[in-house]
Amino acid sequence: MKPASIFIVVPAYNEGSVIKDTLLPLIESGYSIIVVDDGSQDDTWVTLQQLPIHALRHPINRGQGAALQTAMSYALRQGAAIILHYDADGQHSPTNIPTLIQPILDGKADIVLGSRFLRPEDRQAVPAGRRFLLQIAKIVNGIMTGLWLSDAHNGARALSTEAAKQIQLQEDGFAHATEILQQMRAHKLHYVEVPTNIIYTDYSRFKGQRFWNAFDILFDLFLGRIFK
Amino acid sequence: MTPIQIILLGSGGLLALLYFIRFRTRLLDRVLFLGLVVGGALLVIRPDWATGLANLFGVGRGADLVTYLGFVIIAYLWLMLYTRLRKLDTQLTELTRQIAILEAKKPDQAK
Repeated sequence: MKPASIFIVVPAYNEGSVIKDTLLPLIESGYSIIVVDDGSQDDTWVTLQQLPIHALRHPINRGQGAALQTAMSYALRQGAAIILHYDADGQHSPTNIPTLIQPILDGKADIVLGSRFLRPEDRQAVPAGRRFLLQIAKIVNGIMTGLWLSDAHNGARALSTEAAKQIQLQEDGFAHATEILQQMRAHKLHYVEVPTNIIYTDYSRFKGQRFWNAFDILFDLFLGRIFK
Repeated sequence: MTPIQIILLGSGGLLALLYFIRFRTRLLDRVLFLGLVVGGALLVIRPDWATGLANLFGVGRGADLVTYLGFVIIAYLWLMLYTRLRKLDTQLTELTRQIAILEAKKPDQAK
């Protein structure tokens, strides 16, 4: 499979200071890249326009889930064979990409989920506070979706074309990470978890989710279930 | 008529006027709203009716019954507004998405 048929989709909101460094290694590797600027107020959009990528812009901020769905809808129109979710803040490593797409290429899975808890070295790299929060998130995900995974809200995922066609994210915010699992189960999509590492920098920790965001996510999921 | 009765009837009347002139809502909503306003006005004019009604429901004072009913009505309105807001949110996201896709910049258009 040609690298250009593998589409890496990156939602970005106010990532002007890091977006170029995040994207350059991906561009060099020959993958097709779609970045959705989710209504940033900084110079993210100016930077994106200078790069050889598919650059889309939400005129107003709609949330990470909305930006991911925009990128996936667009990727399918461009004929993507595999779609890979990737964070803009530089916490994902390009070295994880082959690991994430291989099970789809082998026909073993429709969706591949990255996990920080399959290798001891990846687990140890997760800050203690975050590790605790993720344990709770795993249980919440298990209860909400019936899928008991080793990690939660790890943004690294790969989807086959068929899987991407079936997943339709309605949750605009961060609750999309649980919604994807709900839809995976509803559509009986085959999935596997693969080990991926996360690079925790001061910047990514600053941009990452806070403890109280977990309550927002729970609230969104709860209301999302009532008001379909 | 006491001053509070005048204030309540006056503001209730204004609210009803505003509702029927400004909002184009469904017939059912209008009937419900009219019932609410007329019922409220009657209870303001005849507070003893509220007490009688309250006793029927096992509540001691008419004012307590009105407060309880007020909570239920506010919760119902919040729910209706939230449903509407969620629908608008979904439509806004879809509109934003279509604009973003229509105006997408391809790799060969890099400046």
